[in-house]
Amino acid sequence: MASIRPFYLTKYLRVIASTFEMTFRQTVKDAFILFAVLFQPLIIAMLALWMLKDKGGQYIIFVVIGSGMTGLWSSLLFISGNGITVERWMGTLESLVAAPTPIQVVVIGKNLANVLQSLGSMVVSYILVSFIFGYPLSIAQPWLFLISLIITVVSFVCFGIIIASLFILNPDVQRWQNGLEFPVYILCGFLFPIALLPGWTTPLSYLLTPYWAALALHASAQGTGTIANISFAWGVMLGYSILYLFLSKRLFRVILKKARVDATLSMH
Amino acid sequence: MFHSLLLNIRLFFRGAVLSYIALFRWFTPPAYLASKVIAPLSYMLFFVVLGTFATGKESASFYIIGNSVQMAAMSGIYGVTMSIGGDRWDGTLPYLFATPANRLALFVGRAAIHVLDGILGVFLGLFWGITLLGLDVSKTDPLVLSVVILITTFSTSGFGLLLGALSLLTRNIMFVNNTVFFLLLIFSGANLNLSLLPEWMQTISWSLPLTRGIASARKIISGSAFIEIAPLMGTEFLIGVLYILLGFLLFRWFEFKAKRKGTLEVM
Amino acid sequence: MNAIEVDNLRRIYRPVMGIFRRKVKEIVAVDDISFYVKPGELFGILGPNGAGKTTTVKILVTILIPTSGSARIQGFDVVREAEKVRPRIGFILGGERGLYWRLSGVDNLRYFASLYHVDPGISKSRIPYLMELVGLEDRGKEKVEGYSRGMKQRLHIARALLHDPDILFLDEPSIGLDPIGAREVREVVRNLQAEKKTILLTTHYMFEADALCQRIAVINHGKIVALDTPEALKEVVKDLHIIEVEVFGIPSEVIERLQAKGFIENLAVENVEQRQVLLIQTARGSEAVPDILAILNGLRVGKISVREPTLEDAYVRLVGNKGE
Repeated sequence: MASIRPFYLTKYLRVIASTFEMTFRQTVKDAFILFAVLFQPLIIAMLALWMLKDKGGQYIIFVVIGSGMTGLWSSLLFISGNGITVERWMGTLESLVAAPTPIQVVVIGKNLANVLQSLGSMVVSYILVSFIFGYPLSIAQPWLFLISLIITVVSFVCFGIIIASLFILNPDVQRWQNGLEFPVYILCGFLFPIALLPGWTTPLSYLLTPYWAALALHASAQGTGTIANISFAWGVMLGYSILYLFLSKRLFRVILKKARVDATLSMH
Repeated sequence: MFHSLLLNIRLFFRGAVLSYIALFRWFTPPAYLASKVIAPLSYMLFFVVLGTFATGKESASFYIIGNSVQMAAMSGIYGVTMSIGGDRWDGTLPYLFATPANRLALFVGRAAIHVLDGILGVFLGLFWGITLLGLDVSKTDPLVLSVVILITTFSTSGFGLLLGALSLLTRNIMFVNNTVFFLLLIFSGANLNLSLLPEWMQTISWSLPLTRGIASARKIISGSAFIEIAPLMGTEFLIGVLYILLGFLLFRWFEFKAKRKGTLEVM
Repeated sequence: MNAIEVDNLRRIYRPVMGIFRRKVKEIVAVDDISFYVKPGELFGILGPNGAGKTTTVKILVTILIPTSGSARIQGFDVVREAEKVRPRIGFILGGERGLYWRLSGVDNLRYFASLYHVDPGISKSRIPYLMELVGLEDRGKEKVEGYSRGMKQRLHIARALLHDPDILFLDEPSIGLDPIGAREVREVVRNLQAEKKTILLTTHYMFEADALCQRIAVINHGKIVALDTPEALKEVVKDLHIIEVEVFGIPSEVIERLQAKGFIENLAVENVEQRQVLLIQTARGSEAVPDILAILNGLRVGKISVREPTLEDAYVRLVGNKGE
């Protein structure tokens, strides 16, 4: 068994790559995605730039990253979260399930495309702010920032699998979707420190992987963190990612079994 | 004459109720709660905390009031445009255009219920402000504040009607809605002192609904008398009427064009 | 070993009706069916809409779990060993859904090829070959949303063949197509048969089953009512003759009176514009005509003809759509 593992790995990587490519091609012209990954974070960035103007210091890079994080979360919630539901609407879910590739692999490819796409908003607001507004921008610890970014992508992709599977497993959860966007903006310290929030919310923040992502990205960009606390955030993100992957395997087993018993893979 | 007036009133309310039902037909109690309670509350909390982070705790009421009144735009924009644009999605537009019904009653009726919904939303926002965030309303004249909220919601819904008519021309109603709603967060002055904005942006701000409403609400809550905000409110009302008329003209133009070219469904 | 084996398969749906007073209604879609398909055979499942054809196919292609009974593909159980079944089969589930509309036909195939772990080197030559096989070679670069229904259905067939499976399930491959489109699809199926694929095809067109299949299971209300070669199925009606009577505006009491007659084995009514054509199956042949005319007394009667039965008549008799 162990000897055929690498064989599967290349196959799965190929599936991830092709899913990535086709998701990207399908969504690149989608107006809703354009809004979620580009317009909304840009408007939030502009608003925050004006609001925090008197803060001084590193606030500009703080706003660029923080508003980018809002785009990352919104697209994870609305686009990755609906990833399986959309396949069901299109009638492709049955073909995906009946293919020899586990559906988690497909979902990973889709999420990766969405997450990287929404990272684009961070790049756009970086460019916009530095060129149009004429603010000088620099990343204090570029290597730490880059590693933080990569780990953020990994943890968001894994978090997205859990969200998508919970939404497909229980449509009642999906109905809360509209109510989940801003609470995470608040709890994860994207644009203000969570110290401003009441103490009882802090454990909730710690449970959310975007909180640790924001922490590592903000700290490495501004140069306010030590290697110790940034790498602690990495560790937490990676730990959550492994947990999510492990959970998703079980969740998908339950979901697919249930869907094949209840005949809900397609819409009638 | 009287009979036809009665008929139009009935049409007006029929449209109003139907558009509300249509909007929420997919809604279940959790979805309603998420969209109408949790989402607005979390929007408000986010901007209030961001605002206090920016300018200190003492300025909290500025953001609380601004974002509460901004709630009028939630129903006024999303609700109204969906009830106009929804007809196109459902393919009911040709049937509507084939009826002899009074177009103005038909058009405006769709906004009416969202004015009520918007007023409710603003009061809910203020309620959160008072209970959760300690907004001080001891100097507020509740009657005047209610008038401010009514007029502001009316004008914002009028703007929504214009957007709704515009949405007949595009496939992406939600895209237009979302963008406008978020831009209003900047332009309405809910989260900013408008004098911080460049001049040209301030010009836009003062030609939009909501801006004067938010400014008036802030004044009333801090204890000003009605007379101080009366000119602002008068203009706010006129702005609302203007947007409704613009929207209606666009709606009629669309009907005319659509009938002529037979493009009701394909655009 | 048989390619497909189905034993006492049952599938019950329990749709939940209503929001407030939840009622659970049981629908038996597949009711204790058993059959097998030999390697290389083209096997048809023929039945009216809602007879249980699609449910059977969905169970066999591992996307639906049966309520009871079992099925095996090349010896592998479709529930317990689904992951062994999946690479061995290809399938299409009728209709035009289930494709990525914003991608081109070729892109759709490339994507599914990767899901089926087809080696990129192989898919490079296989995709053009398949596009040609289904007659889409000139349209491959276009987005699927611009395809006609028939083109989408043929693209589905190409998708099902990407990994060169031994066994193919084609659920209503010609549904909703115009006569030319349907003929093209049948041509593709015939080519596949020549390649010695095992094919299970469902249809509600008797002539399609007759023209393509080596054996046919006629299914109605979830049960197999007959299973044999097309020739043998025609035996069911071999002693009968078909009398076609053209009438104008026949009242339902008259139809009931006809059905009550012992010498009429089966009666179907086809509406053609303002006329109705009565298809009467009887062992008495032309002798029955005067008796029938006696019952139709007073109605305007047009053409009357007596002919030999076809597979369609066998089908009508088997699924018994009397007076439908």
